[in-house]
Amino acid sequence: MDWITILIVMCIYLLFVLFLGSWAGRGRESSIVEYVAASRNLNFVVMYFLMGGAIFSAFAYLGGPGWAYSRGAAAFYILGYCAFGLVPWWLWGPRALRAGLKYNYVTQAQLFTDRFQSKALSIIIAVVSILAFIQYIALQMKGCAYIFEVGSGGRVPFWAGALIAYAVVLIYVFFGGVRGVAWTNLFQGAFMIVTAWVLGLYFAYSLYGGPSEMFRQIAEANPTHLLVGPGTKMSYAAFATALLVSVLGFVMWPHLFMKSYTAKNERVLKQTILMYPTFAIFMVPVLFIGFAGIMQVKPADLGAADKILPWMFSNMQFPPLAIGLVLAAALAAAMSSQDTITHAAGSIFAQDFVEVLRKEKHTEKQATLWVRISVICFGAISYLVTIFGGQTLVALLLGAYGAIVQLLPLAAATFFWPRATKAGAICGLLVGVLYNFGIVFKIIPQIGDIHAGIQGLILNFIVLIVVSLLTKPMDKDHVQKFVSL
Amino acid sequence: MSNGTGTSGYGITIFKPGTPPGVRARGIIFFIILCILILMEAFYFLFANSARPFVLGMPFGMFFIVLVIAIEFIALLILYFLEENDMQKEGGR
Repeated sequence: MDWITILIVMCIYLLFVLFLGSWAGRGRESSIVEYVAASRNLNFVVMYFLMGGAIFSAFAYLGGPGWAYSRGAAAFYILGYCAFGLVPWWLWGPRALRAGLKYNYVTQAQLFTDRFQSKALSIIIAVVSILAFIQYIALQMKGCAYIFEVGSGGRVPFWAGALIAYAVVLIYVFFGGVRGVAWTNLFQGAFMIVTAWVLGLYFAYSLYGGPSEMFRQIAEANPTHLLVGPGTKMSYAAFATALLVSVLGFVMWPHLFMKSYTAKNERVLKQTILMYPTFAIFMVPVLFIGFAGIMQVKPADLGAADKILPWMFSNMQFPPLAIGLVLAAALAAAMSSQDTITHAAGSIFAQDFVEVLRKEKHTEKQATLWVRISVICFGAISYLVTIFGGQTLVALLLGAYGAIVQLLPLAAATFFWPRATKAGAICGLLVGVLYNFGIVFKIIPQIGDIHAGIQGLILNFIVLIVVSLLTKPMDKDHVQKFVSL
Repeated sequence: MSNGTGTSGYGITIFKPGTPPGVRARGIIFFIILCILILMEAFYFLFANSARPFVLGMPFGMFFIVLVIAIEFIALLILYFLEENDMQKEGGR
């Protein structure tokens, strides 16, 4: 009956998160700035975990060890992009914050739409973002469903596990808004960090006598596993461009970019960027878990590499209370990303799609209600994708994921190049996104192992510059207000 | 990396008008340092594509990545305090 204890621990955890998230939004005014940007007054600790929760996702907690187990040194790229992902934010984060305060933006597209005076741009950004988000939310839901399946010994079916995760996140995002997301991420982030360190070091010491001995055995058994390049699981070009596209595109994710508007001031924003590399250090023991599994189980016996963390647990004779806590931490990883993205998807659809298409603006209450309805809908769509998603859809969404980095030239042009025009911005974005999809769907041949996003990005910049120079400059006073922020 | 606004007002504008030359120089230096660190991570295999020696319990490649992260943190820390110092001076004026 161990599974009952495990499920009780997980349920207690979920109830606590539900309470915390709903409580955080209690007594707050019903306005868009509060619901989407927490009235622009989040402090450093909350901002730090809010941003950290986005990277400590199901991918990091389950996929990270899976990569270390199956691909070895290729997993080091996760540390690199995690550490440097926020660095580009130092350049435009404070400017975006000032712009948000001055012109009342709450989403990324509102900034770009205002700069380039284009509603079409808002709709394109909304569509690209939402396509990418649904895949991301579905990934987290799958992670949650799998955790429930493992925790209950198969008694909670996949669909029910995903449904529980959807319902819990939905309730506190609905009532708490971004403030609910932030406070739950603070708790979940701290919980995950402690668990990751304890587990990573425990496995390395209990199974091998320490990390050095663990890696020595791996290097002897499989000399190429701790290397990248020819004859390994990742080529040089694939490693370098995957890391570069992740660093350049990380803050371009709309749910992260729009957090520029939630920070209390520039100091808080810069403190968050300064401390963010610590999350990469927290990831080191997470990778240890995957490395520890290499000498313990053969890939054929394991099935999917992402199952390595749960497998290690089910074969180590842990007490049910400990298993419950660890699975709760894995749930925390998945939910801390799912909530941020669900909230952002709802906000973007309501603000950048619905609001843009309407002739008359919604009132504050109506706009907030639209965001809440959108949050429910996107959660539901993501749930359906999780349960019924086919391969074509997955491929489409994977393409959208690579497309996010195509928003980078818009940010660069907004803050640093007044000569950029509406036509240049739209053409560049479309070329970059379509080229990326072309490679994903194998219509366009991929050049070497260079990431499709990087190839699209180079084209995107070229088209933006050429088309802008060929078209009439935009009003000087208007464009100058963005570069002089 | 100059403020090439020129007379047209449409040139590349890296710094806000009126930014002191010292602050501009510092911005450029840190920009270059951080770009080099990012490239060192992306092309780490040029320097440390090796399992041995094991340092702090990690294979050499992993240790190198972590070392660059530590250097990045120090660089950001210095930049933060320099900018903080500037902000306090501005506040004091």
